[in-house]
Amino acid sequence: MSQTDRFTFNGVDIQYEEGQSIAAALINDEKRELRSTRFGGEPRSIFCGIGICFDCIVVINGVGNQRSCLIQAQPGMKVESGQ
Amino acid sequence: MIIVIGAGPAGLAAAEAASRNGTEVALIDSAPRMGGQYWRHRKSVTGYKSPRADLLFSKIAAVESITHISEATVWSAEREGDIFKINYLQGGVENSLVGEKVIVATGAYDRALPFPGWDTPGSMTPGAAQSLLKGHGVLPGQKIIVAGTGPFLLPVATGLAEAGADIVGLFDANSPLRWALSPRALISNLSKFFELIYYARLLNKYRIKPQFGRAVTALKDGVATVSKVDSHFSITGQQATLPTDVVAVGWGFLPDLTLGGLLVFKQKVDSDGTAIFSVDNFQLSSQRDIWIAGEATGIGGADLSLIEGEIAGLAASGQKISPTLLRKRFRKQLFADALKRSYPVQDGWRGWLSVGTTICRCEEVKLQEISDSVSELGAEDSRTAKLFTRAGMGLCQGRMCSRNVSDIVSGITGCAVTDTDRIAGSNRPIAEPISLGQLSDGNIRL
Repeated sequence: MSQTDRFTFNGVDIQYEEGQSIAAALINDEKRELRSTRFGGEPRSIFCGIGICFDCIVVINGVGNQRSCLIQAQPGMKVESGQ
Repeated sequence: MIIVIGAGPAGLAAAEAASRNGTEVALIDSAPRMGGQYWRHRKSVTGYKSPRADLLFSKIAAVESITHISEATVWSAEREGDIFKINYLQGGVENSLVGEKVIVATGAYDRALPFPGWDTPGSMTPGAAQSLLKGHGVLPGQKIIVAGTGPFLLPVATGLAEAGADIVGLFDANSPLRWALSPRALISNLSKFFELIYYARLLNKYRIKPQFGRAVTALKDGVATVSKVDSHFSITGQQATLPTDVVAVGWGFLPDLTLGGLLVFKQKVDSDGTAIFSVDNFQLSSQRDIWIAGEATGIGGADLSLIEGEIAGLAASGQKISPTLLRKRFRKQLFADALKRSYPVQDGWRGWLSVGTTICRCEEVKLQEISDSVSELGAEDSRTAKLFTRAGMGLCQGRMCSRNVSDIVSGITGCAVTDTDRIAGSNRPIAEPISLGQLSDGNIRL
């Protein structure tokens, strides 16, 4: 068994395994809608999965435009839906 | 010192080959572990089953003259006389590497085509599904449709099935009969038949029946529309609707040419319309002391990337390159050309779109706005359409949509996309978004 830990996404606790990206942990928890778009308010999720498309961007500990597919989850991270 | 950018098959082979005569190598990559997209793996899982990868990983870890810099993203590069300065971000901190020679092995990413619903959650590239599974041990959903074109769909569909997903369908828009166009490539690469048999067995085991001449042309509220398409990818009428959690749709790959705009080396347009880097027989770019290997010189798969990487590594470190190695590359190139002939992306996809379909995901530009920029505002190429609509001006810098925008504009004007237009779409002065704070902290000069 891999070690599990938690971060929060829009205030909700999310469990993850060590080494998992934020996006992977969220998808695993069936949280597919990672953000809504700036103009149309449309839901977006992971798309390219390798840091090219920037569709999965979230706000991490107050810093915006972070690609959740690339950044590994850390204990206690505060993740919020970006725009 | 040789700086190798990218630790996928090409970069690993280049670093290993260059280190054979003791040359100092810095291998820089954005991922936590080496292997690139192709040999993506988790620390705790050795599920990628590749003796070639294991051998390269252990060699590189054992050689003292190779320094592996992981989780570092190159955001710019510059040249001053005989010295290169490669600027990268690592854990939010800006840093630089200095070397006399550079090997670029930046790989490729999935090519995506728009369709109604491709921007909604549940739609992703096969590469995304693959990376979630292999890199993070997560299934993107339970019911999955794998579609698009190309041999990459096979490992994705069988890998997901192996991990417990229900593969609702595996659809390739092209016909396997197209392989008949490339008899020479098949005869000179017989090992590929064993790979085919391997996947045929897996497909059989998981009861996946690949269907050809079909494409996912819409996704709405968890239901995918799968249409029969002809050899031009035009919908011929017959459609089926399939409930699914995920559609993983990909149309081959696009090389990452970002560094070309920074270090100014020559690009050209490949036989399939893809902009690639131009290299000589020894993988040397148009600039002295910069070699390029792997997908960035034309999509060809891991076998070709390994050989190109080895040649680049040997050339950059001043070692002899055997004619056998060059012949091996020629054989793999034949196969790469056959792949392009067998899995073309035809223009008919433009007919799948509706006026409200998102074309540029970042800036939320719809087809209607691009059409209007051509018919009402007079845009004649993708560059002008981009200036009018902002398509391609978002965070991804047009990596996802610029080629599609060119094709859409060309479909309206009736003028073929020029090579200049194809190449212009890949030139970017900054490789990665960087904050002004990071810029000012790092004392960077642009």
